[in-house]
This record gives sequence, structure tokens and C-alpha cells, in this order.
Amino acid sequence: MSIIEANNIHRKFGEGTLVTHVLKGIDFTAEQGEFVAIMGKSGAGKSTLMYQLSALDEPTEGTLLIDGTDVLNLNESEKTSFRLNTLGYIFQNYALVPDLTAEENVMLPLLMRGGAWNDAKERARHSLDNVDLDGKYSNLPAELSGGEQQRVAVARALTGKPKIIFADEPTANLDSVSGRQVIDLLEHLHRDYGQTIVMVTHEREYAMGCDRIIHMEDGIVTKVEQLK
Amino acid sequence: MRIFRIGLLLGWRQVQRANKWTTLLIIFVMMLTFLNLIAVSGVLVGLITGAERAVRAESIGDIIISELDGEDRILETERILKELQSYPEIVAYAPRFDGGATLEANYKERRDLSGERDIASVAITGIDVELEDKMSGLSGNIIDGEYLKEDEEGYILIGSYYTAEFAEQFGDIFDTLDNIKPGVTVRLTVGDISKELVVKGLVQSKVDEVSLNTYIPEREFRRLFGRIDRNADRIVVRVTPEGTEDKVKASLVASGLDKYAKIQTFEEGKPKFITDIKNTMNLLGTFIGSIGIVVASITIFIIIFINALSRRPQIGILKGIGIERKAIEVAYVLQAAFYALLGSALGALLTYGFLLGYFERNPIKFPFSDGILVAPPDETFLRFLILFAVTLVAGFLPAWLIVRQNTLNSILGRK
Ligand SMILES: Nc1ncnc2c1ncn2[C@@H]1O[C@H](COP(=O)(O)OP(=O)(O)OP(=O)(O)O)[C@@H](O)[C@H]1O
Ligand SMILES: [Mg+2]
Repeated sequence: MSIIEANNIHRKFGEGTLVTHVLKGIDFTAEQGEFVAIMGKSGAGKSTLMYQLSALDEPTEGTLLIDGTDVLNLNESEKTSFRLNTLGYIFQNYALVPDLTAEENVMLPLLMRGGAWNDAKERARHSLDNVDLDGKYSNLPAELSGGEQQRVAVARALTGKPKIIFADEPTANLDSVSGRQVIDLLEHLHRDYGQTIVMVTHEREYAMGCDRIIHMEDGIVTKVEQLK
Repeated sequence: MRIFRIGLLLGWRQVQRANKWTTLLIIFVMMLTFLNLIAVSGVLVGLITGAERAVRAESIGDIIISELDGEDRILETERILKELQSYPEIVAYAPRFDGGATLEANYKERRDLSGERDIASVAITGIDVELEDKMSGLSGNIIDGEYLKEDEEGYILIGSYYTAEFAEQFGDIFDTLDNIKPGVTVRLTVGDISKELVVKGLVQSKVDEVSLNTYIPEREFRRLFGRIDRNADRIVVRVTPEGTEDKVKASLVASGLDKYAKIQTFEEGKPKFITDIKNTMNLLGTFIGSIGIVVASITIFIIIFINALSRRPQIGILKGIGIERKAIEVAYVLQAAFYALLGSALGALLTYGFLLGYFERNPIKFPFSDGILVAPPDETFLRFLILFAVTLVAGFLPAWLIVRQNTLNSILGRK
């Protein structure tokens, strides 16, 4: 069984004559341990698809099974808990809590799961070490560079050992060096730990380490490239 | 617990990172609200409490003994007075004889016999000169002239309300006499008996019953009024320490004195209007304080609302990564709680550490009372609880409004 099984996903916005049909029947599957990239022109609907797959939005039509769970039939708090326990997110704009230190940001999901404070702290530091941020545990996001912030976000997405990590243009706001660092990190996770990752990117170069590239255009999948 | 811990972390860090001056300002507002709630009714009630204290000190004392229903006077007055002497708690007592009389002044200077006479109907009390002074400190209320002397006859003390000079400010409520000052001769008439008396002193107090009265020694009073039985109309008693009056009253009753007279403590015997006004003032103070609460809760609402609104994307992210709504709401409620708690604590510190003592030492001078600040801890605590609860709601509401919004929309800053 695939870890993500999405069938005939439609997403429309608005009502009546103002309806925008953004996703027009997308089938998407990802296997356990797979690294999938989604590419396409701006406005193709990549982000919109990500939101559907990651239980942040609800498709107007279609079915979605993640790790065997019928996500679309969960109520809001079940979805929240599902996201907490199964999914990890890396957003384009770092998305850290500005009042919390790097370490506390990473601890949040662990604490939410009921982890002990010291244990969460230890694991958070370990994750930060893995993204080369040892020594910056107590920095506030504002005291970190964009690349460093994004790596904190990666660390936060990882610490809970989620089944799937979703990353929507994680390098968009970074220079090429920092961007490469983040991509290397994801590739490393995938290669060495068998992490399932779904990533949207504009750079073909960044997609080359993936198993598969899905090309989108105007709300439909136009081409699938199998790299490995 | 899990939720509370995250809420605490998020809320506390927000407070820590917030602008110090803003935080101080909010706490200051909360403190003023608390003071408004406590002090406004405290001063209003304190005004009446001040008056009540004065009445207790200068007029009716801690225990008041009066005639039984259906009797004219206290029976066996001598025996009761003797009994009172045997109580160590009783530090002072004074029998009083009450009556009404007519007082005339300026009759010698009157040329035109057909003109209006300078006459006033007055209340008059026959006092035991020494006991009365010990009991109510009457000599301390002499504003002109001197207090009466034991074994000295032919003198009278006149309350300032009966003199034209002092009564001017009150308008024409009471009969007044002109040119009353020490040394002046007045004529007191009771029934068909008249007697000329020399004004020895003028009496004034914030207690109306004291200023609206005249005083002569009891022996002279009994003679004038033909009261040969020596039975008094009232006996007022001072006990020490204050608060033992219930106990003393109980043993007075136990020794059978209630067969001869009605025995009441100050609380039982005080004029009912005092209690009524006190309750009214309390209500008024609560009402004014409630307006303060409304203002404070709106302030808190706006502060938390703006705070949460400006963090809407982060709230979305938090929900996105799986933080429960409740935890985020708790973060904001805790912030509101923090402001309310600190503000109230400062307010309480100010009230109990400074204001109470200050007003005790420097009462607010009102014509009828030396106003103090009254803030019984249990009532203060109740008001604090109300303020606290209202603040929590005022913090929760905006947080709830914003946290419940669609997660994705919040993250993307849409709508
Ligand atoms: N809430 C919405 N209401 C109306 N239209 C929307 C909404 N969200 C997205 N769209 C439309 O859907 C289309 C796809 O948007 P989406 O953000 O998925 O594109 P994208 O492929 O991620 O583009 P980019 O590479 O620029 O991020 C766009 O034309 C956008 O205007
Ligand atoms: Mg996008």
C-alpha cells in the first residue's frame, strides 16, 4: 500500500460564475521512503496540491488516504492531532515562532505530544546538531540568518520522526549556498533514514536528487519523470 | 496538562519578549481598575463608617441601655449603674436624662415688647458632668467657652446648631438664637417653670445629636423636669477592648438587668439609616467600580486582540504543525491572567500597605464625618475574583476569535 494515495483531487475556489478551478482531477501516490518533487510554472497549482495532500485544506472532490487513514473524514481536532503525529512541514517562509528560541521552536511538537521537558530539549538539541546549528540553541529566530531559520524549521519538521515531510519551496527565500544546504539535508534524510518527502521546487537542479518528478500545468499532472 | 504547558510556554515568552513599557502600562491600567473597584466603594462606605465611628465615640457608645417597651424610663437606674461598676471591661458609662424645653435669648435687650421673641425649642440632656465627659469626651467638643463643672449650678452648654452663626450654613432648618456666646444669659422654660441660665460653652461635633442638643447637670435637670425618681432615659456604656460588647451585654442580661431596661450593643442600637446608607454607598461604589471593570475588560480585549491578530500567521503555523487550538488560547488567557494578577497585587499592596493607614491617619474631612477607607479583605478578595474572571474572559474571547479561523488562511494571511 502506498503511503499517500490521492485520487481524482479537485479544488475549486469561489462560487457561481466566479469559480476558479485550480486542481482538475489529480491522482497522486507516493511510496514509503520515496522522495517526490513537484514542479511546474507559477500558478500551476503546486502549493494548492500540497495543502490538499497534507491535510491543511480540503479538496472539493476526490479521495485521500495517508498511511491508511481517510484524512478527509477526520474532524478538525483529529486532523490537528494527525498532522502532529504523522506529518512534518517546512514552509517557504521559515514559519518559526518569533518569541521562542531555536530550541524551543523545535521542542514544540514534542511537548505537544506530551514529551517530558528535558527529553524534548535533548532531542531538539540533537536535531539542531544534525542541521549544523549547535551553539545556536538559544538564539531567537530574529537572531538567525534565513538559511539558519529554515534549517531550524527542518529540524522542527524532523524531530517528531514524522511519516511524511512536506516542503513547499523550502529554498525560495534563500541564497544558493543556503538553499543547497537545505536540499542536501533533505537528501541525506531520505538516503540515510528512508524519510518520505514531498517537495515543491522551481529549481530542476534541486529536484535531481529525488526519486520522481511530477510536472504540473494548469491544475493537472502533465508528466511524470522517474529518476531512480 | 500538556496543553497548559505549551500555553504557558507560548504565553510567558510573549510577555517576556513584549515591550517592557507596554507591559508596565497594561499592568498600571489593571492596577487602577483594581483600585477603582476597591477604593471608590471603600471611600464611600468609609465616609459612613467615619460617621458611625463618631456616633459610637461621642454619642451612643458600645452598649446602650434604654427604657423597656411600655416604660417611660430605665427602671432601677441606680442599681444598674452600680452593677456596671463591677465589670472590668466597662471603662466608662454615663446616665442621660432627655427632655425638651424652650430657650429664650436676648429678652433683656428687647425694647419692643410686641415684637417677635428670640425663642427656640431645644432638646436638652441632663448629664453627670464627670461621667459624661469620661464617656463621650464632651468637653473636647467645646468650641467656645468652657465645659460644665461638677456642683456648679446655673450654667448651660448649647449645641452650635441652635446658634444663628453656626446654623447659617444649614439654612432655616432649626430654631436658632442670636448672639449666643459664653457669659450670655438665657431663659429655659419647661412647662410653667422657667429658669435663667448662663451659657458656659458652645458644643460642636460632626455627630448631629451632639450639636443639636443642650446640656445641663442632671440634678438641675431632674429638678426642672420634676423627675424625683432618679431614673434615667439612657445609659451609654464604653467597653474595652472594642468588640467585647457582645460578651458584656450577655452578662448584663444574664445578671437580670434586662428586667429593668433594654440592653443593646452598638450594632443593634445604632440608627438604622446608617446601615441603609452604608449599603447604598457600597452599591454605588460597586456600580462605579463595575464601569471600571468594563473599561478594563475592553482594554484587555483590545490588547489581546491586536496581539493575536498580529500573530495570526504564526497561530496558523502552530495549528499547522499540530498544536491544539486550546493550547494557543491558553497562551493568551494566561497573558491576560498575568496582567490582572500583577495589577491587582500591586493595587492590593497599595491599598493595604499604604492607603488604609494613610486615611486612618488623615481622614477625609467631611462636614458630617471624618471619612476613612474601608476595604474588608474578604470583600476585596471577592472583587478581585470578579475582576480576574472578567479579565480571563476578555483575554479568551479575542484569542478564540482568531485561533478558530481557518488554519491555511491564517498561514497565508488570506481574508
Ligand atoms: N484561495 C484561493 N482563491 C482563489 N484562487 C486561488 C486560491 N488559492 C489559489 N488560487 C489560485 O490557484 C492557482 C494556483 O495557485 P498555487 O498557489 O497553487 O500555485 P503554485 O503552483 O504554488 O504557484 P507558485 O509557484 O507561484 O507558488 C493560482 O492561479 C491562484 O490564483
Ligand atoms: Mg506555491
